[in-house]
Amino acid sequence: MAAAAAAALLLSGCALWDTPSAETQVFAMDTVMSLTIYGSDAQTALDQAVEDLYRWDGLWDVTSENSQIWALNHNAGEAVTLDGETADLLARAVELCQLTGGALDITSYPAVQAWGFTTGEYRVPSQEELDALIPLIDYTALTLEGATASLPQGQMVDVGSVAKGYAGAKLADGLRQVGVESALLYLGGNVQTVGAKPDGTPWRIGIQDPAQSQQTALGVVEVTDLAVVTSGSDQRYFQQDGQTYWHIMDPSTAAPARSGVASVTVVGADGTVCDGLSTALFVLGAEEGGRFWQENPQLEVEVLWVMEDGSLQMTPGLETSFHLADGQTQREVTVLSYE
Amino acid sequence: MSKYGKGVAALLILAVAASAGWVWFNGHSAPGQILEIYQNGQLVETVNLTQSGQPQTIVLEGDNGAENTVLIQDGQVCMSHATCPDQVCVNQGWISDSAVPIVCLPNQVILQIKGGGGTLDAIAG
Repeated sequence: MAAAAAAALLLSGCALWDTPSAETQVFAMDTVMSLTIYGSDAQTALDQAVEDLYRWDGLWDVTSENSQIWALNHNAGEAVTLDGETADLLARAVELCQLTGGALDITSYPAVQAWGFTTGEYRVPSQEELDALIPLIDYTALTLEGATASLPQGQMVDVGSVAKGYAGAKLADGLRQVGVESALLYLGGNVQTVGAKPDGTPWRIGIQDPAQSQQTALGVVEVTDLAVVTSGSDQRYFQQDGQTYWHIMDPSTAAPARSGVASVTVVGADGTVCDGLSTALFVLGAEEGGRFWQENPQLEVEVLWVMEDGSLQMTPGLETSFHLADGQTQREVTVLSYE
Repeated sequence: MSKYGKGVAALLILAVAASAGWVWFNGHSAPGQILEIYQNGQLVETVNLTQSGQPQTIVLEGDNGAENTVLIQDGQVCMSHATCPDQVCVNQGWISDSAVPIVCLPNQVILQIKGGGGTLDAIAG
């Protein structure tokens, strides 16, 4: 009996500490990714994941002349035939644009370009220039029928606001299909988890404090089998004449979104939804975004807004899974109520 | 005090000194932390942070004159110099746990701390 108990302890000890794993770092989608997969077939699963990421990077890179997105953007309004994965990504993205009433708009790229975020040569465009850009930001002009798509000349699609979330979700699905029960996919600020940690406890994902230039977590969210995606004003920005300009554009002004929000974190089962919504809920702000969340329970997401004044607003599902870090507990926290 | 008592006292003092020394030598790092340095996707160097009492500098030469200098001190790691245009890696400062790596995107260098039972698995944002 005692021997059996000791053996069981030993076995569970092995399961805890000696779970085989494979990991690697990938430079793709204009960021660095870190993949850690646990289980006996981890290396095979990892090799497939890396292959997928490089393929998607090639398909969706807005700056690469060989990409599907480039073909769509540079075809003078004529229809192009897309591969299945790109068509699926665009369909999902357009759905989110519609759902958010255009707060997410995948045709915001001309504005991102005008402000210099694509080259690093930052500038503040004139109001005339912005006024001329606003009509170009209109996802409803994108025609998508099956695998055939077209876009009016002058408009440009960029899937940067959804591609990493979509990639994380797809990779997680693939891993679950081959029997992987535990994985952590860090796709440049987007976190996608599969299952729990090998020891059965939830993953502990820090939420970046947008007021800190160094990477510092203001709190921790514990998740199992979910995606955690943050859009922050601190991710890409420049300063000029005492003003800070960030890369998250308001489609209605062609300028950085100013809603009083410094970052938005979305936690949910669907990484594509989390990624797209993190941008849309930044643009909408805490009040309008909070109403959007209340009106869309089918999305099954939880949201944390960090305001520019340091206060927090979160949805009730985070009350048990989110904790402020040490030294952060003086922050004012508002919890939204269900409808 | 009996001989035996003195022996116990001496052992206790040794134990306290040893644990103080342990903390001293480890600086900020937790036991068992390893720094992994990746260049162009390849693991090129590993450093045991719990044994890095003396400051240590590692220079990585890359393609087209790219150069990154890694500084390791008291169990912490930073990119002290880099030829990249944006200097994001240098401006990140020191790291001492596994939550967030230092990444030099232009020169494709990653400094990742492993192990030590860090409290966070990743940081979103």
